[in-house]
This record gives sequence, C-alpha cells and structure tokens, in this order.
Amino acid sequence: MTTAADRFWRQTEAVLSELPMDVRLDRDDFYSQSNWDVFRMRYTSADGYRLFAWLSVPHGDGPFPALVRMPDYASVHDIVYTSLRERVVVMNPTHRGQRNSDEAFQAEYPGLLTEGIDDPETYVMRRVFADALRSFDALLDQNKALIGDIALTGAGLGGALAVAVAARRSTVHAVAANTPMALGNPDSLQPGLGYPLAELGDYLRLYPERRDAVKQNTADLDPLELASRITAPVLLSLGINDTASCPLAFGEKLAEIIPECDLRVYQGASEGGGHEHAQVQLAWLSDKLGLS
Amino acid sequence: MATEQDLKTFSTQVTCPNDFDEFWSGTLDQLARASLKPVISPDPLRSNDDVQVSNVTYLSFGGLEISAWYSLPTRGEGPFPAIINFPGYKSEPPVRRDWGKNGVAVLSVAVRGKLRSSGEFNPGYPGLLTSGLEHRDLYGYRGVISDCVRGVDFLTSRPEIDPERIYACGSSQGGGLTLITSALRPEIKGGVAGYPFLCCYPEAMSMFRSYPYDELSCYARAYPDQIDQMLETLRYFDAVNFAPRINCPMVVGIALDDEVCPPETSYAAYQALTGHKELWLFPNSGHGNAHDYPGQERAWLEQQIGLTAVVS
Repeated sequence: MTTAADRFWRQTEAVLSELPMDVRLDRDDFYSQSNWDVFRMRYTSADGYRLFAWLSVPHGDGPFPALVRMPDYASVHDIVYTSLRERVVVMNPTHRGQRNSDEAFQAEYPGLLTEGIDDPETYVMRRVFADALRSFDALLDQNKALIGDIALTGAGLGGALAVAVAARRSTVHAVAANTPMALGNPDSLQPGLGYPLAELGDYLRLYPERRDAVKQNTADLDPLELASRITAPVLLSLGINDTASCPLAFGEKLAEIIPECDLRVYQGASEGGGHEHAQVQLAWLSDKLGLS
Repeated sequence: MATEQDLKTFSTQVTCPNDFDEFWSGTLDQLARASLKPVISPDPLRSNDDVQVSNVTYLSFGGLEISAWYSLPTRGEGPFPAIINFPGYKSEPPVRRDWGKNGVAVLSVAVRGKLRSSGEFNPGYPGLLTSGLEHRDLYGYRGVISDCVRGVDFLTSRPEIDPERIYACGSSQGGGLTLITSALRPEIKGGVAGYPFLCCYPEAMSMFRSYPYDELSCYARAYPDQIDQMLETLRYFDAVNFAPRINCPMVVGIALDDEVCPPETSYAAYQALTGHKELWLFPNSGHGNAHDYPGQERAWLEQQIGLTAVVS
C-alpha cells in the first residue's frame, strides 16, 4: 500500500472512531414476516451523516451468522430478500446519497462517481467507503441479534466496498465479491468504457486538464492497494466482457493479490456470471457460514 | 426452474374489467387536454462525438414534471428513428448513447418516483407498487403509465424524429411498461419486453417471496379487509389485459429461472398478444441476466428499424 493510501485509511478510521455510532432500530411491521423481523436501522458515519440500512433478523435466540450486502452503484439499495434470511441476519446498508440516506445529499446517477472529485476533501466516494466501514461496525454495535460469523457480499461498487471492508476489518469471515469496481485504478480511466466507469471518461473529456487530480483523488480507493491485507477467503467473479465496472485485466490482477482467492471467470458475461454465479455464490456462502 | 410445459399449462385468474377501455380512454383524454410543455436542456458532460445528450422535461398526468434522457445522433439530418426505453422498478433510467452512432435517437424515461421525477410523487422502493392501491383512480401506476405515454407524445412532437419509426423496449418493469404503452399508443411500431413485470398480480404475488411483488403480499397481510379492492384496482393495470390491444410486432423475453417475475406470468402476457409476436425463452437464466438477451434485443430492433438503410 502506498503511503498516501495508508494515511487515507488511517485518517478515515480515526474520524469514525471519534464519533458515537448512535444506532437506532425500528421494527417495520409492514415488511416483517412470519419467520423474520425487518428493521429500519440508522447510525452515524463520518461528518455526523446519518445512514440507513435494512436489517433482517431470523426469529430465535441466535447467535446467527450474518451477511452484509454492500450497496450497488444505484440510487436504491434493496430491502432484504435473499433466501438465507430465514437463518441469517442480513444487513443491506446504504451509503450517503442513496435513498433513505439522502436528507443532506442526494446522489445523481450518472454523476456520483465524479461528485466533488477535484478535491480529496470534497470527493464523495472517499466518504462512501467510510460509510461501508461504518456499516460493518454498526452491525456489531446493534443489540437486536447475537451475531456469529460475518460474510460480506457485493457487486460492482458493492464488490469494491466488500473488498475494502474485509481489508480493514480482520473479523470478516468470508467475502463474495462480483466484479469489484476498478475506481482508483488506472484501468478505470481507459477509453471506451461503459457506465458507471464511463462517468470518469465523461468528466475528463470535458475537463482534460484535471486528469492528474482525478487520478490522485481516486487512487486511495484502488482495490489493488488493499487486497493483500484481506485475511478472509474471497470468492471473486469476473465477466470477460465487463467494460463498466471491473475490466478483466484489472480483475485478474486483483485475484493475484488477494491471499486466498477463489476466482471464477465467466465467458460471454459482462456482469460476472449472473444466474449461474448466483447459485455458486449461494452454495459458497452457505458453506462458509456453516449452513450447509 | 419452470419448464415450457409449466408455462403452457398456467392459467391466470385475471379478467378484464368491463370498463377497462373507458377508464384508459378517460385517462388519455385528461392527458391530451394538458400541454406537454417540453424543455430540452443539452448536457455537455454526457454528450460525445456520436451523441448529443439532453435532459428533457415534459408535463404528465396530474401536471407532474417528468424527466428523461434524450440522446440524438450528431451525424445525419434526420428525421431519425427512435427508441423509447422504459426503466426497471428501482433502477434509474440509463443514458443510452449506444444507438447514436447508428443514427437512432433514444428517449430514456424517468417515470414519476425516479430521482429526477420525484418532486411531487416519491413513494420509494419498496413502496411504489402499493401506492394508491385503494382505488384505480389513485393508483400510482396510473401516473407511471401516463408518463410513458407522454414520452411517446414527446417523440412524435419532435421534427427530428420519424413518427413512423418509433420502437419501445425495457426489461422487468420496463418490459411491462413496453407492453402497456404499446397498447395505449399505436405510434409505437414494435417492441421488446424483457422479463416483464406487472403481469398476473394475483398469482405473481403468491408464487415467490421476492420483491417487488412481495410488497403486495405485505399489503394483503397488513390490510386483509382490502384484498378484494386491491385485486380490483390491479385489474386495470395488468399487462395481460393490455396485451390483446397491441397491434404492432412484439417480443416477450422470459428467463425460465426468473425468481422475481414468475415466467408463467410473463408467458400469460405473451399468450394474450393477438398480433405478430415472438417468444424468447432463456433456460438456466434468472431475472434480467440472460447472456444472449441484450444482443437479441439489439438485433431485433435493428431489423425492425431497417438500420442498414439508416447507416448507408
């Protein structure tokens, strides 16, 4: 890891550690079901920003294994619907700017990826990564469910957030990351990419003189900077046609750096395996969380 | 995974209300009486050598302002063929620059409730599917569907668009809206509906416990005395009831392992089509992720548009 990236992550964690978490949970009677309760969860992240998460808790005493599904690059993060929710605590945390976490700042799509990118102090994606760390800590801090082993999942941006949190939290038990977004890596700036990475190209087409600033202010978020620190096993899926989130060459470099990586590359795919990989991932997570 | 036999033996309990056409002609009459008031604002950040991208706004049902991404080819004089792209349930409408090089305009509609069209109507996700269920006049999808119809009106109002070559596409909710809007607007000359949502609500809400349909199950559990009214409202918004009113060529794409929009319910919409139609079945695929679907969709639209003539 570069000195600058290490400094960024240390500063981020220092900022978070000084803030009270103030976790609040409200049961959602409308969406709770016969075998699990659904909670609307709120907690405080960097800058005092209040964040929202959906939390699903199985009925029973626990402890339960837990699954955190990091948010995709999208305005909405789903209410929990995985088939694991009957036996697993599932948290779907949002980051700032997404729906339910948008009182102070509303993200635009496209647009979020370059919001404030001229300055490291204003670049919102650096705070988005802080929000992901905070969500993991908030899960451990809540008092509605006893938590056992915790796995992280995510696709695209969510995959990159899962990688980052696993690198900074050694208590993560397993990670299933699909096509982690290459934000911060030079591969994200190559021409001809699709959205969301194309947002960076759009920005540089309009402001070519800001290329160095873009490279510098995103570099700390490069998954390649963090991957070697991960101690948990990682299931990584890539699609050979991915031009929007995780270009194949970048993904293969990431796989080489992750100490314990189960790499699955899907032919003909742009999104990392889709339905076929969803079944692989479900079996893999069930095994890692002791549900098999 | 569903089999083809499962699709063929499935039977829906959905029936068409006697005043279905009256309800929708009344809604369209209300729309027609209000000015569209379109505003086109070019967006240099999203434009490139092939495409000028603009943010478009227009007025829709109830006077709500609706946004859309409008991608116009930078080369050629037009009038251009156009595709209207309808969004999924929770996703924001994409900026579609991929057709500009081929001389095709695209309007990508942010129906009410989407970020850029949420000023006066914002039930959220989950939330939209149950918003206003207490009466057909109040149901949120009356406005959502109107927003799609008005998108077609925007295209036909534009001198740079060829009104004889307007096509529609979308997946999931976008697939359902493709079917519904094509029934309401004969200006649409053909469409591709992928993994269509908004079909056979009574069965769809009970076949899986996945969202968005599960919103209806939650509503039924919370308000058991309202179930009959809920189902009565939904009859006016079921793509199965719109399908026989479509006169243009239509494709329905179905993934046989779709656990969001049950394949049987999408197939019922296909069966209800009475015009020229094609069925694409994708075994071993789930909701929205059949690998071959995007290529097939593009090839079908290219053929319908007569793209070779445009490029030359």
